[in-house]
Amino acid sequence: MNTGLEKQRNILDYGLMSLWRRKTKNLSVLLVFALVIFLMSSFQFLTGALTDVAQQSLRLAPEITVQKMVAGRQEQIPISYGDKLQEIFGIRRVEPRVWGYHFSTTTGGNITMLGVSSFDPRLETALLHGRLPSGSSAGEVVLGQGVVRDLDLKGRRKFSFFRPELTQKTFTVTGEFKPESELLTADLMVMSIADSRDFFHISETYATDLLVTVANPAEIETIARKIAELLPDTRVVTRPQILKTYNAVFGWRSGFGSVCLLTGLAAFIILAWDKASGMTPEEKREIGILKLLGWQTSDVLAVRFYESFAVSFLALLLGCTLGYVHIAFFDGALFRPVMFGWSVITPHLHLVPVVRFGDVLLVICFTVLPYLAVTIIPAWRAASVPPDSAMR
Amino acid sequence: MRPSSFFLVLLVTLALGDGALLLLSSSQMRSPQDQQEEGVLVAGLGLTDLCLATEARYTRNVSITDPIAPFMDYPGALEHFPSGSFYGVTQ
Repeated sequence: MNTGLEKQRNILDYGLMSLWRRKTKNLSVLLVFALVIFLMSSFQFLTGALTDVAQQSLRLAPEITVQKMVAGRQEQIPISYGDKLQEIFGIRRVEPRVWGYHFSTTTGGNITMLGVSSFDPRLETALLHGRLPSGSSAGEVVLGQGVVRDLDLKGRRKFSFFRPELTQKTFTVTGEFKPESELLTADLMVMSIADSRDFFHISETYATDLLVTVANPAEIETIARKIAELLPDTRVVTRPQILKTYNAVFGWRSGFGSVCLLTGLAAFIILAWDKASGMTPEEKREIGILKLLGWQTSDVLAVRFYESFAVSFLALLLGCTLGYVHIAFFDGALFRPVMFGWSVITPHLHLVPVVRFGDVLLVICFTVLPYLAVTIIPAWRAASVPPDSAMR
Repeated sequence: MRPSSFFLVLLVTLALGDGALLLLSSSQMRSPQDQQEEGVLVAGLGLTDLCLATEARYTRNVSITDPIAPFMDYPGALEHFPSGSFYGVTQ
């Protein structure tokens, strides 16, 4: 074997044996280091997977959503606004939606009740069983799996909710959405727009928002600008804005993300401070003996580098592996209490993290590289002094 | 066995384990049919958001809510829903 390579291998052997001699301390460091990396990589994998799912799932989100704003709050929008929009060239269709939230006092679940004016027949393919509500029969609904669990109907097809003024409205379940679509439909209760109006007491001259379909998707931004000029008391949300929101909303800038990052950094700084604050007399004496035996300063630095590399690289592998398992097989169980909060209706996530080079590089830059630096510097300082004074 | 050989074996074993994990989890990936059905759902119902946290309207419908929604409920209201801390600022 090449003598240079053999020499480096011998130094690596020496470094690993040196680590093993102080195994209790080094295993503790490895464990803490791996936990820090686990926390950071878990969060990175989770937010990356959620961003990916959002970008794929919402690629066909409404091209333009128009909401009426009154005193800084969203209010019901007059249907007549839709007629005004027809004046804008390039708009193909304006569709009103009536939707809102219903808080179930018995279960504590918050259900999103969505009324649409017409059902695309292709929606049948998204149903686990049953059919879509027919326009002719009142009170027919399709439920998301989260609502099915929340209501616990036990095979019954009829149930009742109280309207805001405490009169009862009875619904009939005609179908359920597939569990695979839970990330979109878990809390949905889809019905005809007439039922939604009836339940929320919204008159036929108003809707919750208007969905605008344009003839040419390349003109979305132009038409959105024209709508904002024509109806200055509205908020206009475009599909690219929705996708941009989901590109930015999951990340380190959130409160929880910052806590994860700062916790990881604080733990790491304590770890690094311990290393950088100097070496123990025993370690200094070891370096002195090595130099007396003829080792060069570069050899001593190589030993310390290999030791730090072994610890940090093993911690990186362990931490990232645990982070991946946490997200892919345990649905990010440690983050769920924050991500879902007090939500009673929650989806099953079934996320598959995508391991990106950039994500791993970020973790390496925050942990491995600084650790290598802080362990080399004190070793260099100790190796620079004459052997006799190092041993004294 | 030399320590360096043992270390190499350890790294290779861990790397192989990671590869097996990736293969195992890739079987859970959403099929093209699932993605097509999601597209039909989103387009057919006009969905604008993922259903993650359902506790507050500003975390249920992140993309069409106000950035200041948590503080709009009543004068001096502070955000108290845990999921609010999970979502970052979008503007």
